[in-house]
Amino acid sequence: MTRLPPTSQHTIGPFFPRGFFRPGDNDLRRIATEAPPSTAGETIRLHGRVLRENGQPCVNAVLEAWQADAAGRFRHPADPDWRLADPDFLGWGRAWTDAAGGFEFITLLPGGYAEGNHHRAPHVNLTIMASGLMRPLATTVFFPDFPEANAADPVLGLVPPEARARLVAMVDSAPDGLAEGSRSFRCELRLRGGAETPFFAE
Amino acid sequence: MDPQQLPDRIEAWPPGIEPAVPIPGYANTYTHWPAQPLLRRPAGRTERSGPLDLGRKLPCGDDNLAVPGPGRLAMGQLIHIGGRVLDEDGRPVRGAVVELWQANAAGRYRHAADTRDAPLDPDFIGNGRALTDAEGRYGFFTIKPGAYPVPVAETWWRPPHLHFSVLGPASAGRLVTQMYFPGDPLNALDRILMSVPDAAARDRLVARLIPPAEVGPGWLGFAHDLVLRGRSATPALP
Ligand SMILES: [Fe+3]
Repeated sequence: MTRLPPTSQHTIGPFFPRGFFRPGDNDLRRIATEAPPSTAGETIRLHGRVLRENGQPCVNAVLEAWQADAAGRFRHPADPDWRLADPDFLGWGRAWTDAAGGFEFITLLPGGYAEGNHHRAPHVNLTIMASGLMRPLATTVFFPDFPEANAADPVLGLVPPEARARLVAMVDSAPDGLAEGSRSFRCELRLRGGAETPFFAE
Repeated sequence: MDPQQLPDRIEAWPPGIEPAVPIPGYANTYTHWPAQPLLRRPAGRTERSGPLDLGRKLPCGDDNLAVPGPGRLAMGQLIHIGGRVLDEDGRPVRGAVVELWQANAAGRYRHAADTRDAPLDPDFIGNGRALTDAEGRYGFFTIKPGAYPVPVAETWWRPPHLHFSVLGPASAGRLVTQMYFPGDPLNALDRILMSVPDAAARDRLVARLIPPAEVGPGWLGFAHDLVLRGRSATPALP
């Protein structure tokens, strides 16, 4: 079979339409905007800022999140247990950054899982698109609840030791509007410069 | 395909396809792109998977940008753009979400960030979304956008182009790209298109004019295929 060369990537530019976003797009718990959120897990908020060089906010960036369900399963055939995955949980969401570079996702705390000889710590994959990024940037955010799993995670292990903490979200205070007792996690995404966020490529 | 048999890495990009960055004159490519090299990681199930039925989350079928309502018609050359979304093995990717956004015929976006003094068209919003069918086909009715100057110090003119975003069945194949029109003299002067080193790769970003006799009156037809990185078979929908 002939291999087709993949289409070249470009930037989204500064004009990604706001009309593409609807309320609830940043809620990974819902398979459709109108669908009720999955309750099979701990609802959390994951938020932060996207910063460019010199700590300036990166406005009009688009972020997409993708993660396993609370039991560590993806509803996709790449996961051998995909038929057991939570049918009410999408695991995907999209947000954009405001004038301060801020973004927010609502989701369930993901589960970890075994893969091959490794154990993947609970994580959320983030894809960042913005003017000046000629391809989507990928990174992965981990959680402070699982220090042992994080230490053994094969992807976090690719990151130089001094930079690993940048990919572990911090607990902060939950805003009004989140259910009582819900936890909020914060992660700063520094595209370039001091304390730069580690980014990955496949 | 048995996921256990998948190689643990996706083949690297063939040379010349990825844009060379930073791009002289495009300041954001200097201030936004990481200074550190990207860490190449094995592609496990978290990178090989993605939402399968995203059409429920992102409603599709909004594929006519030229006709916003009965009796209304956008200004400009009416075109139809269509093609297939394929994987690297040439297999159709069905159920992919294809998003299109573009400037109007005067080269102006309906977006708060576009403050240029060019007219807005009340009958043109400029974005649409479609779902690929079983053969991986997508299609939009729209208008040919105008060229526009980039608001940077060393300005240059973007040739008429369409922005595409494709959400397929795997995160690793997420594609954001732009499509150009054949024969436009601005193509060879565009810093963004010319950042793709390989001439053949640039040519693949240029749509093909379908002979008008094959399309019929009313619309100029263009064909443009989009190839997602990765060769994993399109998974069956649940
Ligand atoms: Fe543009």
